[in-house]
Amino acid sequence: MTFLHPLALIGLAAAAIPALLHLLERRVPPEAEFPPIRYLSEAERQNARRLKLRHLLLLILRTALIALIVMAAARPLVRSRAAGGGGVHEPTALVLILDNSPSSGAVVDGRPLLARLKSVARASIARAGSGDRVWLMLADGVARAGSREALLATVDSVEPGWRRLDLTTAVARATRLVDAEPLPGREVEVVSDLQRTAFGEGRADIPRGVRVLALAPPGQVVANRGVAQARVTDGAVAITLAGTPGGGPAPVTVRLRATASPVGRSRDVGRALASTGSSASVPLPSMAPGWWIGEAVLDPDELRADDRRAFVWRVSPPARVRADPSAGPFVTAALAVLTQGKRVAEGTDVSLGERLQGDAGKTVLLPPADPALVGQANRALAARGVRWRFGASATPGPVATARLAGINGIPVARRYRLEGGDTTTVIATVNGDPWLVRDGDVVLLGSRLDTVWTALPASPAFVPFVDALVNHLARGEAPIGEEEGPAGVLFQVHGADTVGATVSGPDGRESDLTPARADVVRRAIGAEVQDEAQFAAERFAGTRRADVSGLLLALALLVAAVELGVATRAR
Amino acid sequence: MADVRRIDLLDPAEVARLGGIEIVAQGVVEGFLAGIHRSPFRGFSVEFTEHRAYQPGDEPRYLDWKILARSDRLFVKQFEEETNLRAMLLVDASRSMAWRGAPTRLTKRAYADRLAAALALILLRQRDATGLITFDEAVRQVIPARVKTGQWMRLIRGLLDTPDGRGTAAQTALLHLTALLARRGLVVLVSDLLFDRTLALTALRYLRHRGHNVIVFHLMDPAEAELSGPPEVRFRDPESPASVVVRPRELARAYAETVRREVSAWRTACRRHGIAYHHVLTDLPFGMALRLLA
Repeated sequence: MTFLHPLALIGLAAAAIPALLHLLERRVPPEAEFPPIRYLSEAERQNARRLKLRHLLLLILRTALIALIVMAAARPLVRSRAAGGGGVHEPTALVLILDNSPSSGAVVDGRPLLARLKSVARASIARAGSGDRVWLMLADGVARAGSREALLATVDSVEPGWRRLDLTTAVARATRLVDAEPLPGREVEVVSDLQRTAFGEGRADIPRGVRVLALAPPGQVVANRGVAQARVTDGAVAITLAGTPGGGPAPVTVRLRATASPVGRSRDVGRALASTGSSASVPLPSMAPGWWIGEAVLDPDELRADDRRAFVWRVSPPARVRADPSAGPFVTAALAVLTQGKRVAEGTDVSLGERLQGDAGKTVLLPPADPALVGQANRALAARGVRWRFGASATPGPVATARLAGINGIPVARRYRLEGGDTTTVIATVNGDPWLVRDGDVVLLGSRLDTVWTALPASPAFVPFVDALVNHLARGEAPIGEEEGPAGVLFQVHGADTVGATVSGPDGRESDLTPARADVVRRAIGAEVQDEAQFAAERFAGTRRADVSGLLLALALLVAAVELGVATRAR
Repeated sequence: MADVRRIDLLDPAEVARLGGIEIVAQGVVEGFLAGIHRSPFRGFSVEFTEHRAYQPGDEPRYLDWKILARSDRLFVKQFEEETNLRAMLLVDASRSMAWRGAPTRLTKRAYADRLAAALALILLRQRDATGLITFDEAVRQVIPARVKTGQWMRLIRGLLDTPDGRGTAAQTALLHLTALLARRGLVVLVSDLLFDRTLALTALRYLRHRGHNVIVFHLMDPAEAELSGPPEVRFRDPESPASVVVRPRELARAYAETVRREVSAWRTACRRHGIAYHHVLTDLPFGMALRLLA
């Protein structure tokens, strides 16, 4: 048995009052003459035993009455096995994880899923007592402490967010939090749609004594598909769909909008069919130089947050290139083709050859044809502050790169090993050795662009490679990042120039609304999945106690009635 | 229906405020005799001796109708005693008799005096020799039974001259009485009977054995019949050092039962020996107390 107000037990000392009064009260009673004292003595003699018993009974009853009232005031709690969420519980540390990730915005049975989750969360917080310590953790992973009223207000104001919630991580953090609290009860309640994608590969380490409850997801699996990714590559946008498995292909519309255009004006530029888990490519029209924003849009379904995803790309003006004769005939021919196609122009923005042009602009540096000039080239590189240098000749091998897909696997017969630089600047490798790198304004190749060195000049990918080399690699590309957030684009500016952009949208894993199996949940976060009724019954059940103060008061009332009866019966 | 203006039926305390014992007794007797229409103590005489003026309470059968017809005046015929009734009133004057449970009531002694005076007046009016003995732990006053004029006032003086005593020794007084009563007669004991019942009954039984008619008035204040008082009180015996601390509320029922048993024991014992026993509370109108004898 425990007590809600144990300090009140100090009042038990008052139970000694009747006995003390009996022992200490030796006041002199008033005196009076009474002639028939013989009758009185006779009556007292005949009733002495009964009176003694009565006095003893009254003493016991009065002591018990005070003790019962004091104990009732202390609110005694006894362990309760009663079903339902009633009763009181011992002070408990509770972290309530309310999953307001984008998937909580799904509409299930005509009602937003988050509304159901909020209702359950409200009930949990409302059941918390003054001795409990409660935190509310949303999809952002921040544990918010506060009074019950403040947390209820927070729950009321929760809307579907843009952050994905990793439940395994969240539960691990929550259990650590409650485990640090020196309270009799420690509990973590997971109020979520329990997406299977919300559980990582690992499992949360649940400390002993911490209970984890998980609300069961809706019984109906909601069909959904969403745009997981949209990226512009080589004049087309590649669109990847994610979502609940099943269902046929869905049409995806691509819309474009120039950054200079008024907000909301857009035009459809393409349409494709794609299935969940697959990608589709929609060619983009030739655009004038500048930043462009596009949007891949699906037809509306139960989860609107992932029905559209923005993408952005930059169309650069043709690079002005000057090729040194030492670059070789293949490079000269490729540049002629690119010039004709207006992909490059004559100029000094980018120089291409085997010699560095002082401190001028961007340079694509090829290894010198004469091995004796390698040292001179390395010194020039060092003088420009480039950490890369030409090393020894290395073994032949195929080109491997992720950024220039067209040249993958093209054989390289001769090459210098590129050494000394930062591996993060490597663009392509041969046999694992850096072969194409970029350091500052200098792009360094391990082989000359000649068929003696590599088969690349003879391949169809050569002209696009040279195009990428001068237009993208040498000049550098504006960074385009991606992050979670509402579908949109955020540009980074430097002075009057736009130097980059960030595309935001929901995590693609949020589109798959398939709930995790109970065994997966149990393994990942150590929780039993329970429906709403079970969840309500199990809430605080680990420390639930029945308040027996009412029973004690009733007993006190009964004792008082008996005391009254005994005290007045003989009168 | 009783006439509430009759003095004998009024509250004894109120009646006592009307005057001295003799006035109260006369008023009581007048009212009492008017109420019962016949004397409770019929004389034993059978031979006519004289006439006297009719008084309320005289039996109509003793009216002399001839005189009434001749003179239109009421006279009753009186008869000569064959054997004189000798009545002796024994009044307990012990300390306990001077007690009353409330200031608005008479003490038991005051009640006894007035009741004895009224009795004496009734007896003397019917020419019964009446005497008085007052006693506490000893016999205090002895007025032999006489029927002569002024006897009643002597009896009144005897009552007034007897102060409240200390203890009670009824058996002593009763034994002394046996010596004073050479001829058998009527003995009326007016007492609260707060003494040893066995000893007292021995004396009374002896009187009864000697041929006396014995009447006992057991006086009791209403507060002695029903125990009440503060939550806790030390009750002290006025006649001895004895005292006891009690809580009246918790002992009231047992006390009332004890009193009931005691009264019942007195009544049973007296009846067994041919003694008339009357339990009288001091708030009982005198007329009602006298009526007990009728």
